[in-house]
Amino acid sequence: MAVVHNFEYYKPLKLAETLKLLKKYGDKAKLLAGGTDLAVFIKEGVLFPEAVIDIKHVKELQKLELKKDGLFVGAQASFSDILESANIKKDYLLLWESARSVASVGIRNRATLVGNICSAVPSLDSGPALLCYDAVVHLASTKGEREVPISEWFLAPRRTAMKPDEIVTGVFIPKPKIKNAGCYLKLGRYGGEDLAQAGLGVFVNDKLEYKLAYCAVGPVPKRAAKIEKLLKGKALSTVLIAKAMSLVPEEIAPIADIRSGKEYRIHMCKIMLERGLEVCTERMKGKIIDTLRILGG
Amino acid sequence: MNKYKFVGKPIVRIDGREKVSGAAIYGDDIDFGPNLLYAEIVESTEAHAIIKSIDTSEAEKVEGVFKVFTGKDFPYKFGLYMKDRYIFAQDKVRFVGEQVAAVIGRTPQAAKKGAQLVKVEYKPLPVVTNQMDALKKDSVLLHPDLGEYPHVPWFFPKPKTNVAHWRKTRKGDLEKGFKEADLVFEDEYFVPRYAHCAIETHVAIGKYDLGGRLTVWSSSQSPHTQRHLFAEALAPMGLTHKDVRVIAPHVGGGFGGKAGVTMEIIPAALATKLKGYAVKLRWTRQQEFVNTYQRLGVVAKLKVGVKKDGTITALDHKIYWDAGAYVEYGANVVNAVGLSAIGPYRIPNVSIDSVCVYTNLPPGGAYRGFGYSEMLFGLESHMTQIAHKLGMDEVKFRLKNAIKEGDKTAYGADMNPNGLLECIEKVAKEIDWGKKIVSKDPKKAIGKGFSLFWKAPAMPPNASSSAFLKFNEDASINLIISGMDIGQGYQTVMAQIAAEVLSVPPSKIRVETPDTDRNPYEWQTVASHITWSSGNAVKKAAIDAKEQILALVERVFVIPKDQLYLEDEAVKCTTRKNFNLPLRDFVVNGIMTEDGTFKGGPINARGMFLPEFSSANSDPETSQGGHPNVHYTVGAGALILEVDKDTGKMHVIKAVEAIDAGQAINPDLIKGQITGGLLQGLATVLYEDMRYDEKGKLLNPNFTDYKIPTAMDVPDEIVPIIVEVPQPDGPFGARGIGEHTMLPAAPMIANAVEDAIGIRIKSMPFTAEKVAMAMLNLKNKKGK
Repeated sequence: MAVVHNFEYYKPLKLAETLKLLKKYGDKAKLLAGGTDLAVFIKEGVLFPEAVIDIKHVKELQKLELKKDGLFVGAQASFSDILESANIKKDYLLLWESARSVASVGIRNRATLVGNICSAVPSLDSGPALLCYDAVVHLASTKGEREVPISEWFLAPRRTAMKPDEIVTGVFIPKPKIKNAGCYLKLGRYGGEDLAQAGLGVFVNDKLEYKLAYCAVGPVPKRAAKIEKLLKGKALSTVLIAKAMSLVPEEIAPIADIRSGKEYRIHMCKIMLERGLEVCTERMKGKIIDTLRILGG
Repeated sequence: MNKYKFVGKPIVRIDGREKVSGAAIYGDDIDFGPNLLYAEIVESTEAHAIIKSIDTSEAEKVEGVFKVFTGKDFPYKFGLYMKDRYIFAQDKVRFVGEQVAAVIGRTPQAAKKGAQLVKVEYKPLPVVTNQMDALKKDSVLLHPDLGEYPHVPWFFPKPKTNVAHWRKTRKGDLEKGFKEADLVFEDEYFVPRYAHCAIETHVAIGKYDLGGRLTVWSSSQSPHTQRHLFAEALAPMGLTHKDVRVIAPHVGGGFGGKAGVTMEIIPAALATKLKGYAVKLRWTRQQEFVNTYQRLGVVAKLKVGVKKDGTITALDHKIYWDAGAYVEYGANVVNAVGLSAIGPYRIPNVSIDSVCVYTNLPPGGAYRGFGYSEMLFGLESHMTQIAHKLGMDEVKFRLKNAIKEGDKTAYGADMNPNGLLECIEKVAKEIDWGKKIVSKDPKKAIGKGFSLFWKAPAMPPNASSSAFLKFNEDASINLIISGMDIGQGYQTVMAQIAAEVLSVPPSKIRVETPDTDRNPYEWQTVASHITWSSGNAVKKAAIDAKEQILALVERVFVIPKDQLYLEDEAVKCTTRKNFNLPLRDFVVNGIMTEDGTFKGGPINARGMFLPEFSSANSDPETSQGGHPNVHYTVGAGALILEVDKDTGKMHVIKAVEAIDAGQAINPDLIKGQITGGLLQGLATVLYEDMRYDEKGKLLNPNFTDYKIPTAMDVPDEIVPIIVEVPQPDGPFGARGIGEHTMLPAAPMIANAVEDAIGIRIKSMPFTAEKVAMAMLNLKNKKGK
């Protein structure tokens, strides 16, 4: 498909240079990392940026860093980079499973996690995992650096707390301090790559603290605070899970669209909660479970 | 079976290495040099409207825009079976996406930019997107001039309505049949539209050279038919058939979508006004969805009468087709099914109404299965339902009523030899029919589904194939034919047929993609007729070559021809053990005799096949009297389906399909067809979900929201079974199987879902959402 729109293309090698360009162009510039959204939008005539700033060669935006206190996912880290790390799979299984559910191998090789949260579509798979891990978004501009907790990041569909002259340098994910288990359940229309009809991240630790976050069933990905409160400190039982499932409609605000009806989304968010909690309980006991076909199909 | 040396053997595809390695050249790969122009289409944004004005002035100002054309430049109609389609919309548009104008650019960018600046002013007309609405008396008419459209004699349009064709088939006494029945059961079934989704989108390049001849390179299943339709439509430009040449490179999938002529007419026509240049048009994926053909949508009303012992006494089958804005090809889908909607059953009293209805949706046309998938979804769902109502096992019910050789088809001709009973029995055994499987997982339910299928090639009675065969010095062969290898393995199978006759291995036979200037006539690569029809032509060409060879040897060596035979690339003799004349010694340069003179010369052979027994002449009110279908290919399928009771998600644990190929020329290729066809069929029932808004705009012309299966969606196990009851007039007994492999998928799933969870779903597709919501509704009802 021919690209009709003309734009300036920049390939900065340093962060400082990138920030200067951002200051100059503001929201008339678009950052290019994986390009899996941007290239398509330019081709299809959805976006008409004056400048495209390619950040693939900016040295400071390193890929992945596993530190003692947590994981730093740099702006250039692709979902494949995350999937290839055995340590991430071991310590951040919920994040790893959400990365695995993104699109297809070819897209995952290009698409970045940071790009995913900057696109901020309601169905973003990385959202629930980052919310459950209480991740922190690191931003930079010519004015300096700042940090935004992920819970304050998503404002509306395709809108985030980022300012036009800012760049996300990476996301920090604190390492859970005590024994824990997590899983990401994604509802799609078939076994191949799909945008989530609904997604749910589930996290449990030894103190019976539960963290739950949904995506694709509201304008932004969101923690299910009421259910978390209900479950806190309690061991799971059939009765308790049923009570939690009954709270689901209060936690989500799904729409009907081409991917799913509203009723099915509500129904499935309950089923996903039930199965997600079951998986985490089993994983806490040390059982190895593959969640790939946990919803059937 | 060891009857044959090359036929019936799993020969590796002769075009495989070229395609797998990327060496194969497709339409978009061809380099046309710096004089290549690019066309970009201005598409209708309205589903039904009068074109008030077209302003091209801004587009013409764009740098790099070469020219802009509209309907005024090409006031010509075209069509395969009915001339109801235009090269560009004239006064009216009839679907969203229809071509209104073309901008020609020096670069694709210039053309696209120009197309964005063409202003079209429309006066909207009422839009009808549903065939049942279009049938209503007060519906807006899509084609007020329908009565004037030229069409084939076996179509029956109803002028001043939206009915483009009405195929009526009547046999026996319907009323009497229902009276004889102990049980009469009626129901309705719904099948939406589908898209082919070939990996290669349509592409065609037209070039009208300075000498005044038109060449079109086209990704096509039908090079000769395209040449014919181009010559017909462009006759006012002074073109005749000999002036039009179609070159068809490799094709990246067809499935019926590249049959006939759709977008290819555009660059063919544009070229005639761009003398000396080549002009390319390549569809985007979105255009591929809306402006080629789509599979037609169906509302089917079924009424079947049965006796207590399971004997079917009567069938009343009414099928209403949403055929879209233009039906030049799609009306023949309606016709084919109208002749065959009894399915593979022996039914004495029959009424079929197959009604082709214009709607303001994209044109319907050929799609693998040619209407039979849509028809069989209803029929085979219905047969299972009625067997259950009788308290009879559905496989026993099918065995009792299955059509046999000599039984009468709906139009009164004799059914051909077939192995339907063998197919049913083999499938039932392989799937362990009658044995219920209980899932170990309490969240899952498991069911089995069964379905029969049949299909005949739908083609004019005079559709023909031909072949040229020439020997080279080393006794290798160029087999020159005009069918297309669209994945089925056509080139390999034709080489095997020639190889068998001539004792030359397929590896020494080259088959290329066709050029209508050099390759002999072939109607189209459609209808699953190519193995049978082109195979017959190739076999005749090979026999012609063999006859020439043996006649020459007889003349030179004075050995009676009946004592000569071909073996291992040599002529041998039954009476002279040591006689061994290698083909390479003489098939081009002749045989030297004692006086130094040579006899013979290059062996060039030809073959042709036309089914001379076929006829479309029949009574329009009953369809009795003709022989419209050459034969039917039959089969049976079954599967084991696991359903998640909460999520509605389904997983095929095992699928079995048996098909009567007559004679498998290449069993590996048939197994490939069964796997691929089954998956394509499963996709239509489980995933593909085409959505239009009320204004006729397709909402998901992309793979983000129109899902076709991936490697993650293949059944755990697929068992292909080949049955071989020879087709008397087929090459070595072969008949076609390509389309058939997808036919039973949807009813198998429908029947398995009911077996698993007790819910009968009657509208496709069966998305997980639909199944889950049906279960939830049932639960809620029971709760009350």
